[in-house]
Amino acid sequence: MRRAVPRIAVAAPPIAVVAATVLLWWLAVRTFEIPEYLLPTPGAVLEAVWVERDRLAWGMLATAIGASGGFAIAAALGIAIGSILGLSRFLERGFYPLTLLLQMVPLVALAPILVVWLGYGQRAVIASAAIVALFPVIANTLGGMRSVDRDLEELFSLHRAGLASRWWRLRLPASLPSIVTGLRIAAGLAVIGAIVGEFVSAYAGDRAPLGMVIVSAMREYRTDLMFGAIGLAAIVGFALFGIVNFGGWLLLRRWHASARSSSD
Amino acid sequence: MMRAVCSTTALAVAISLAGCGDPDATSRGRTSVSVQLNWVPEPEFGGFWQAELDGVFADAGLDVELIAGGPSVPSAQLIASGKVPFGIVSGGELLSINERGGSLVALFATFQGDPTAIMVHEASPWKTLEELWRSDATVACEANLPFVTFLNRKYGGENLKLVAHSTALANFVNDPTLAKQCFVFAEPVTLELQNVPVRVFPVLESGFNPYTAVLVTTREHLAANPETCRAMVMALRRGWDGYLADPTKANAAMAKLNPAMSVEAMNLAAKKQRFLVEDETTRSHAVGWMTGERWNTLAEQMNSLGKLEQIPDEIEAIFWQPPVDDGPMAPALEDSATS
Repeated sequence: MRRAVPRIAVAAPPIAVVAATVLLWWLAVRTFEIPEYLLPTPGAVLEAVWVERDRLAWGMLATAIGASGGFAIAAALGIAIGSILGLSRFLERGFYPLTLLLQMVPLVALAPILVVWLGYGQRAVIASAAIVALFPVIANTLGGMRSVDRDLEELFSLHRAGLASRWWRLRLPASLPSIVTGLRIAAGLAVIGAIVGEFVSAYAGDRAPLGMVIVSAMREYRTDLMFGAIGLAAIVGFALFGIVNFGGWLLLRRWHASARSSSD
Repeated sequence: MMRAVCSTTALAVAISLAGCGDPDATSRGRTSVSVQLNWVPEPEFGGFWQAELDGVFADAGLDVELIAGGPSVPSAQLIASGKVPFGIVSGGELLSINERGGSLVALFATFQGDPTAIMVHEASPWKTLEELWRSDATVACEANLPFVTFLNRKYGGENLKLVAHSTALANFVNDPTLAKQCFVFAEPVTLELQNVPVRVFPVLESGFNPYTAVLVTTREHLAANPETCRAMVMALRRGWDGYLADPTKANAAMAKLNPAMSVEAMNLAAKKQRFLVEDETTRSHAVGWMTGERWNTLAEQMNSLGKLEQIPDEIEAIFWQPPVDDGPMAPALEDSATS
């Protein structure tokens, strides 16, 4: 019989690592007398975040909208494309290299042309996020579709199940753990894609997204504000990851070992 | 020009681990120094290439390595941290980074007139910068730069839509309503050669006119190597004099290093930037000459715009330049022997 792990034992390791990292950071700045334009102290970053809280809150919201939009498109398209490619080896051989291109394409180089195609604002940001986040969803969906139990496939064949029924009742549920893994990876990537998109396509002003805040802060040597904005972008990524994780747990908790073990 | 985000942490750690060391070294009987440019080889750096090609650096006892910059190269931090002894920044950047712990000293101001401008399509309705700034146009620019805040203060700009600025011109060409930040001798020249007619509004006409493309070093480097710094400035003056007389040789050399800009474009750009390099001050002193009054004006303007918390106590301490009649250039080896 397994004993439940106390909550403090779960929370302590990450808290200790984060605290030690912040302490080392502070010590490094003090010991090596690193000037502010190279690396601010953790305290300076927190102060900048507090002073600029309104602007950064709007920035987080704008970036979260861009990243979520891109993630949603990547999730829908990725599951659809992965499922279609999983139908036949011919389709997979034909189209998989093309999807691989999405992984290889340097987004920083592609982003300016997205502005030409889609104009300034959230559309280019969402497209940028979707492009980066799409491949892991396709790859993991395809992997899931390819690893469906052969005996179950034959059972569905015996019952002359149609393509849609086979996908809905067998392949999609069997692929879910793999798809959730792909979505977790995509969640973090979507935020990176959104930030890169914002570098070249965002509107400036008091409600500018975090990508624009990062560029502006860097240009003014405000490393405190820049680090603060980067930290908040990471929080947006964590939040999106958490939502995906929770959704995955809801879908898998009753029958899959990965969700059951995490809920123990 | 957009200077995008760099890995500041990595840079800081690298500096801490490696130490700054002596950035100057002696080789072939000359002092080896590097200059970190803040952009790719273009006519704004013409004097450097001219000095190299004419052997002026060599005559001055210098072996100069010109390091090309780009949108992601953190030039100012590299110089301020001592990774390179010399480099190019804007006047505003110098004041900003010094307020955050840097110790940059200006040695030579290439542009007496700031080349920053806003360009619009010739068919657009805006005839002046003020008209544009009071409209509801979309302007691609670095919105946090001091000149944008200055224009907002002067002309309002409440209805403007400011969007991210990138070096790519495709979106400007495609959008006849878009206005875009540029250098008067760079993007408009490229577009002119592509038969895209534009109207250019220099920002300096609004009253905001910082020194631009400023050669800087750190206070520590200047104190330890005054002869090297002197030799560099004297050589650069001669280089610029040569480039202004005939830029074709240097332009051909730079065009080989920057395929994005043809020799034809460079020659045209060199003509267009001339009035920004030369003015009454440079004619009565020397090219690249700076005055405390100009630096003070910039510091006061940046302070009033909220871009600088304090005006430096001693404005004279942020720039240094050898007198015009400083005699023949002395070889710079003395410094390396003593440093």
